[in-house]
Amino acid sequence: MKIVVAVKQVAALDEDFEIRADGLDVEEDFLMYDLNEWDDYSLEEAMKIKEAAAEGAVEVIAVSVGPERVDESLRKCLAKGADRAIRVWDDAMEGSDAVTIGRILAGVVKKEAPAMVFAGVQSSDQANAATGMAIAATLDWPHAAVVAELDYQPGANSARIKRELEGGLLQAVEIDCPAVLTLQLGINKPRYASLRGIKQAAAKPIEHWALADIGLDAAQVGATAALSRVRRMEIPVKGRAQMIEGTIAEQAARLIEIIKEYKGETA
Amino acid sequence: MSPQRFLSKSESLVPMTAQALVAHVLESGDFYAAAAVHAIADAKQRQRLEERLFSSRRDVLMLARWEHTPANVLDALARLEHMPLARRVVKHRNTGGSTLKHQFSQSEDPALTGLLALHPNTPAPLLLQIAMGDHDQVVLKGLARNPSAQPEVLRLLAQRFPKRFDKEIASHTAVPADLLGTLYHRGDKFVRAAVLAHKHVPEVLVQQAAKSSETLILRALVKHPQLPAALVETLSQHKDNAIRSALATRADLPLTLTARLALDECDSVRRAVACRTDLPPALMQLLAEDHDPWVRQWLGRNPMVGKQVLQKLALDIHEDVRRAVARNPNCPITLLEKLASDHRSWVRAAVAYQPNVTSCLMASLARDSAVDVLSGVAANPHTAPALLKRLVFSEELDVRRGVIMNPAAGPEVLLPLLQDPYYLHRVLLASSPKLSDQDKWQLRDDPDARVRFALFQWLAGRALRPVADRYFYRRKA
Repeated sequence: MKIVVAVKQVAALDEDFEIRADGLDVEEDFLMYDLNEWDDYSLEEAMKIKEAAAEGAVEVIAVSVGPERVDESLRKCLAKGADRAIRVWDDAMEGSDAVTIGRILAGVVKKEAPAMVFAGVQSSDQANAATGMAIAATLDWPHAAVVAELDYQPGANSARIKRELEGGLLQAVEIDCPAVLTLQLGINKPRYASLRGIKQAAAKPIEHWALADIGLDAAQVGATAALSRVRRMEIPVKGRAQMIEGTIAEQAARLIEIIKEYKGETA
Repeated sequence: MSPQRFLSKSESLVPMTAQALVAHVLESGDFYAAAAVHAIADAKQRQRLEERLFSSRRDVLMLARWEHTPANVLDALARLEHMPLARRVVKHRNTGGSTLKHQFSQSEDPALTGLLALHPNTPAPLLLQIAMGDHDQVVLKGLARNPSAQPEVLRLLAQRFPKRFDKEIASHTAVPADLLGTLYHRGDKFVRAAVLAHKHVPEVLVQQAAKSSETLILRALVKHPQLPAALVETLSQHKDNAIRSALATRADLPLTLTARLALDECDSVRRAVACRTDLPPALMQLLAEDHDPWVRQWLGRNPMVGKQVLQKLALDIHEDVRRAVARNPNCPITLLEKLASDHRSWVRAAVAYQPNVTSCLMASLARDSAVDVLSGVAANPHTAPALLKRLVFSEELDVRRGVIMNPAAGPEVLLPLLQDPYYLHRVLLASSPKLSDQDKWQLRDDPDARVRFALFQWLAGRALRPVADRYFYRRKA
C-alpha cells in the first residue's frame, strides 16, 4: 500500500528585496528556500501510519514539482524516512498555477495508485490552499481539507478524520478511500531526521520524472494551461501610521492631541 | 550554495594552529566554516576565504542577513561594491562600529540614519552627529532610546527639542542627574513619573514628589529605596492598588503595615506580601488560608516559610500551589518524597528539579513516564551519571536537552549526544567546554550548517587561547 505525500519547496523573504525586472516575481537572489512547514506534518502523518503497520506494508512516496533545487527538500523527506522521492519537472511547467500543479501531481498519483494522498493545507509562500483540492478534482477522488486528526488503518476502505472549522470547532467526518487529505499544522509532532537518516538519504536516488512519465503534454501544463496568471507584483505604498506608546493615560492624552491636530484646534 | 566536500577522515586530528584550521576549511570548501574562521585567517588565506564566501550575489545577500555572520565578515561585505547590502549590514546586530561608520559615510540611503540611530554599536561621535543634525522625529526618538547613547547626545536632544523626547530621555540609564532635574521641572506627570523611576533621581526631586497627590507620581515614588516613614504609612492607605502592591515589596516596611497589607482587599497586594522574607509565623498561617491561589502559591515559594505551613500548602487543591512547595529551596525531604508521588506530573517535575532530592528519590523519579519529570531529572546536577547515561537515549528531546544543560554531566555522558537528531543540541555541544576539541571534531562534516559553523567558531576562538589550554584539550582527547 502506498501513501503519496505532495510537498513543496517554498520561498521566504527578508524585509528588503527587489522585484524582478519583468515585475512578475521577486528577484531570485533574495529568496530563501525551505520545505513548506505544513508538509512536515503531512510527511510525519504518513510516517506514523507506516511505522504502525507491518514492516514493508506501507510505502511513503514524497512528490514535488519543481526545478533541480527542489531535490534538497525531497532529500529532507528521505532523511525523515520516506521510501522514495519523485521530482517532476519540465521547462514547459514554468508558470503553472495551483490547478495545473494539481494536474501534474494527479499524473503521478495515477501512476503510483496510492491508497491515500496527503498534502499540506497551504503553502507558506503562495497560500492558495488549492493544490490538494486540485489533485482530488483531477482524479475525481473524495477529499477533505484542514484535517486536524486522522484515524486510518492501511488497506481500510475509509478513514475517520476531524476537520478544523472556525471558532475551534471540529467536524468529525468519515471519508472513502482512496482520498486526498490536506493536513493542518499541529496534527502531530514532526520528527527531526537522525544523522544516520540524513547520511542514508544522501545516497538514495531521487526519481526525476518528465511530462511523458505522467502522460501529459506541454499544452496541459505551464503558463499557457494555467487558469490564472500573475499580472504584476508590487509593494504597496506605506500609509501614514503611528504607534501610540506609553501608559493607557498617555495613549489617551496623545489620541486627544491627534484629534485636536486633525480638527485644526491647538493642543 | 554549492555542495562542499569533506576531506577529513573520522580519525583525523583537529588542526592545532589557526593557519592549519583555516587551511582545512579552504580545502573542504565549507561555506559556513569559512565564515567562522575568517577572523583568524592571515591576509592571503582571508582573500581565498572571501573568494569562497562572496562567489555569488545570492550568498552575499544571505550572509548579510544571517544572524550568526561575524563582525569581520560583515565588515568585508560592507566593502563590496554594487551590492544592495547597506541596510542589511547596518541592521545586523553583529556589525561593528567602524563598519557602521563606513556605511554612513558611503551610502546615501536616508533609511540608514534611522537604523544607525538604533544600533547599539554605532560609535559615539556618529550618534552625536545624528543628534546635532537630524530632524526626523522617528530617527531621533530611536536615538533617545539607544542604550549606547551617551549623556551628551541626550543633553543635545533635550536642548534641541524641548519636551519632544523627554520621556525617552528620562528613561535612559545614561541621563545625567542635572538633566533629570530639568526634565522633571518642565515635564508633565508622565515625564515626572519616568524621572522618579530613574535610579539616579536626585534626592531633592524625591522630596518634592512626596508632596504630590498624583497617582502616577506616587506609583513611581513608592519604588524609591529611601522614603520618609510617614509617607510609607500614608501610602499604605492609598486607594490605588498598584501603589499598595509596590509598597508591600519594600524592604523597610514596618511589621504593622505588613500585617495590615496582608489583609488588603486587593489580591495583588496580598500576593506581594506573601513574597516577603520577613513574615512572622502568624501572617504566614493567615496567608496560607487565603482564598486567592496565587497568594498561596507565592507563599509556597517563599524560602522563609516554615515546615508546618509548607506541609499545609503541599495538600492544596491547586496543583500550582503544591508545585510551588516542591520548588521551595527549603522544602524538607520528607515533603518532597510525598510530592514526588503527586498525581499531577507538573508537581512531580518540580521535585525532579530540586537540588535537595536524594539519589534514591531521583532514581524513583527517573522511572516516571512524564516528559516534564524526566526533563527535571536530566537537568538535576545530583542525578547519578548512570541515570544520565540512560536519559541520553530518551525519545524526548526536552529530556536529552536537560542532560546537555546539566552542569554535572561529564564528557562520558555527553559524547553520544554528538549524534543527537536535533541540530540545536549539537550546536550546544559544539560550544561546550566539557567536551574536548578532538571529541567535537566529528561535527566537522555535520549535515547542518549551523552545527559546523558553531564548531569552527569554537575552534577559531580556541586558536586565540593560550597554548597550554590547547595542549590540555589535545591530551584529553
